[in-house]
Amino acid sequence: MAGIKTLIAGAADYFPGFVRRPAPRFVTESGKRVYGIVAEFGETPAMYHAAEKVRDAGYSRWDVFSPFPVHGMEKAMGIKTTKLPLIAGGAAITGVAFAAFLQWITSDYLYPMVVQGKPYGAWEPFVPIMFELGVLFTAFACLFGMLALNGLPRFHHPLFSHERFYRVSNDRFVIAIEAEDPNFDPDKTRALLEKVGGSHITIIEEED
Amino acid sequence: MSQSPVSQIFANRPAPDATALTDHEWQQRLEKIAADPRMAEDNIRAQGVVGKFGIPLLLIGAVGLLLTVIGAFSYNLRHALAAFEIGVFTALALSLGSIFFLLVFHSLNAGWIITGRRMFENAASIVWLPWLMLLIVFAIEYINHGVLLTWMGGTHGDYLLEKKEPYLNPGFFALRLLAYGAVWIFLGMRFASLSRKCDETGDRLLGRKARFTAGWGILLFALTTAFAAFDFLMSIDFRFFSTMWGVYYFASCALGSVSLVVLMLAVLRSRGKLSGLVTEEHFHDLGKLMFAFTVFWAYISFSQYFLIWYSNIPEETAWFVYRKEYGWGWLFTALIVGHFIVPFLAIIWRSVKRNAFLLSVMAVFIIVMTIADMAWIIRPMVYTPLATTNGDLIDPGLPGIWLDAAGVLGVLGVWGFFLTRAVEKGYLLPTKDPMLHESMKHANYV
Repeated sequence: MAGIKTLIAGAADYFPGFVRRPAPRFVTESGKRVYGIVAEFGETPAMYHAAEKVRDAGYSRWDVFSPFPVHGMEKAMGIKTTKLPLIAGGAAITGVAFAAFLQWITSDYLYPMVVQGKPYGAWEPFVPIMFELGVLFTAFACLFGMLALNGLPRFHHPLFSHERFYRVSNDRFVIAIEAEDPNFDPDKTRALLEKVGGSHITIIEEED
Repeated sequence: MSQSPVSQIFANRPAPDATALTDHEWQQRLEKIAADPRMAEDNIRAQGVVGKFGIPLLLIGAVGLLLTVIGAFSYNLRHALAAFEIGVFTALALSLGSIFFLLVFHSLNAGWIITGRRMFENAASIVWLPWLMLLIVFAIEYINHGVLLTWMGGTHGDYLLEKKEPYLNPGFFALRLLAYGAVWIFLGMRFASLSRKCDETGDRLLGRKARFTAGWGILLFALTTAFAAFDFLMSIDFRFFSTMWGVYYFASCALGSVSLVVLMLAVLRSRGKLSGLVTEEHFHDLGKLMFAFTVFWAYISFSQYFLIWYSNIPEETAWFVYRKEYGWGWLFTALIVGHFIVPFLAIIWRSVKRNAFLLSVMAVFIIVMTIADMAWIIRPMVYTPLATTNGDLIDPGLPGIWLDAAGVLGVLGVWGFFLTRAVEKGYLLPTKDPMLHESMKHANYV
């Protein structure tokens, strides 16, 4: 069910006129939807260990932002391996099978034709096309699968409404926990972020 | 610090490896590495582990070679020589592939492999053995005026052979064979001895010398490997020619040797050696190389076959006709399935690459397939319609397979014995390599 809700919420981003977003779990005093809560960190180790504690607290919909890649961050955040290779593999098999079928049905079944005295349905000339279509399908699946899994492209992100957030491209680390997370609770999550050493803890609201 | 000419050349260059450190810093790093609990003497020496494999391998080798000799005199010299050559070219591929990887590792300053590099050095250092066996093959061919290499018996008015005689004649052939041996044995011995010397002296500039050697060695290696494959394998049918042939044999070299190293490291790991030094991260990267060269082999061998199939020139297609018809079609299919499809679908999984046991199972499978590849190249030429001019050559089929098994196991047994001897000598990894610390903390972040 959670997956369907996520899908609906995602579709609502792209087709706001057609798909209604699910009702917000939390709203601010001004009645706006709560996106989540952010906390700032000044140093990499502090952010890293804070991320480990957020992971251990059982949060699943949250993210860490930093000016540079941090090795081992996926372990500290408890991120599982991406599903993208499976998507790519499925696309590769589809591409190879599609190419084999396309060539077999045209050159051997529907309209058999002698080319250069080679036998009907020889598998050798099929191979380069099978390879190429396999690569093509895989490349598309990788690119668009990556974009879809990342929720991209998107025009705006609620975090951009937070002025201090822009410092993550310079000298700050930010942990953001989304309100969609089942464990999210404005007070408890704020307490957790305070405990792990975050500063400038702010609730981010979405602009409708 | 001793200053050799090479070290003077590089003395003032900024270096990415430990040659940029001061002597004091370098000594500190050596002490830190030596104090690491993983570098305990028991963990990095093979004593009592590899010795158990040595004597059985030698026995298998001796019995196999003896049976091959008996088969050569009592049964069929041509068949026995082919079986012997299948073994020799498999062993040579494993040694040459190791030299190739050493050349690449040194010229690219590869830090990740250092803890496993000694295995490549061991396999490379015994390249003299398959080369000596090639000398024996040449002697047998020469004395008998061509057994498998029928062109050695003279041109007999064959137009093509007369055209090719300036290259395909025993004198030039012998000269080339000596050149191959000189290059291979020099490169194989040099990398092994430089690395072992570094264990004793801790001279970090020895790595630079190896890198210098790798620079020019890689060119000579490519030429000698390709031409050795032309000379011994392609000229079995002197009418056949393929510019891809050198690469085809090289693909087997690279694939076989990285599989062998995976197997050796997995065996050592399972006996409690190199624990913490060769980790699943190293197996992961070696598995990537296995996967890459599986695809590479399939790519170039299909390309070779595809072009010959399409252009349909008789002297080229004849080569494949012998290996697809006359009862060898099953081996052709088995190579497509076993040398490409099965390893491709198995090693593509991350979990297989990171599991030493599963990866070593695939390594054994790939080495067996390399033997099958060599058999597919050499063995169909023993009993061919063309060869029936000799009168007595009728393929015995399955009952004759003992001779093939004896030849292959004989060569690989003796070669394996010398390999275990090399592994037993000294440490299981370069203990004072300038980049060892990189390899000890190697990790794949993806």
